[in-house]
Amino acid sequence: MGCEEFQQILSELEDSYSLEQEQHLKICPRCSALVAELNAIAREAPLLAEDEDPSPRVWNRIEIALRQEGLIRDSKPAPAPVRTIRWGRAWLAPVAAAFLLIFGLLLYQRGGMEPQTRQLVSGTSQPVTTCCSPEDVSAEQAELLKVVAAQEPSLRAAYESEFKAVNAYIRDAELAARRNPNDEISQQYLTNAYEQRAMVYEMAMDHGPQ
Amino acid sequence: MTGARKLQGDKLSEAEAIERAKQGDAEAFEALYHLHRRRVYSLCLRMTANTAAAEDLTQEAFLQLFRKIATFRGESAFSTWLHRMAVNVVLMQLRKKGLAVVPLEDTFESEEESSRKEPGADDVRLTGSIDRLQLKRAIEDLPLGYRTIFMLHDVEGYEHNEIATLVGCSIGNSKSQLHKARMKLRELLKTSKAEKATKP
Repeated sequence: MGCEEFQQILSELEDSYSLEQEQHLKICPRCSALVAELNAIAREAPLLAEDEDPSPRVWNRIEIALRQEGLIRDSKPAPAPVRTIRWGRAWLAPVAAAFLLIFGLLLYQRGGMEPQTRQLVSGTSQPVTTCCSPEDVSAEQAELLKVVAAQEPSLRAAYESEFKAVNAYIRDAELAARRNPNDEISQQYLTNAYEQRAMVYEMAMDHGPQ
Repeated sequence: MTGARKLQGDKLSEAEAIERAKQGDAEAFEALYHLHRRRVYSLCLRMTANTAAAEDLTQEAFLQLFRKIATFRGESAFSTWLHRMAVNVVLMQLRKKGLAVVPLEDTFESEEESSRKEPGADDVRLTGSIDRLQLKRAIEDLPLGYRTIFMLHDVEGYEHNEIATLVGCSIGNSKSQLHKARMKLRELLKTSKAEKATKP
């Protein structure tokens, strides 16, 4: 067997050689070098299977899409509710707005409001951008937590956790809505997020001064 | 990321994460993503040679998987299922762009190709270990058909009969393309090595 014949059938061999082919490899340095080099490439190749990392935004985009499609929910356990709130009532938004107005008046009576709280009271039907980070609570939420703590100190931590969770929910929803302004699901997701915040406010207000 | 760290190499925990993901658990989805992201992304990157396209395809592969996770019954390994999905996503994208994923059987070789196959004296030998960075660059320079088969067989470990089904070619064509891909890579690596040797 010559080199040309050997190399013509090389693609079919897949590392198993006949006696004649093995004999040729033993006596032919060129073909044996060729086979060795091709095998070295094949041996190195599997090491490339997992050597690249995508940027963090890939997961961010996946998570947003999964939330939009309703396939994902936060696995964090919710704190024990003070009372049962039925979700999704049409009257909820204006009732929550009324509570916020009352809250604003209470704060005014206490002697002054933070600018963000004034904005919240004056434009309660408008979406208010929460503070910069979902790890924080906004100024008006901090004021509301003081009100809760004054009446029932043991509930302050639970409400703070609720505010942080709903802030994160709103942040994700606003991001999705900005990216998909014409997407009904994103807009509904955002509406749900605001409603959830209103509900938390309503529950917290229940602990305010009567 | 805590969920991801917990899952490193632990098949039992992966099974738990799959069950939790079926219930819509956010941490479980994230953990599964981080467990398999490198393999899926590396495949997409090697096949497209484009970072942005690879990220889009990675996203699409995982989304398709997560949408169907409720139907996963465990008959095959989860990673196999995900990987097959990723390969199909990539191939579909390449076909959408009108690219011939694998050329038809070519019974005629160009003079240029056959002269490269001449068993002449090699000035450079690929002795010792292959430079991985050089190999990555060489793969990027392969024609799409060669790159596809090489990636699926040598990098990802598919057999020729599986590749034939995936890309729609014959087993013989798959073997032929693989051999040509390896020969082309050998040539590119030698050229690269020779260039390195001549540089001051």
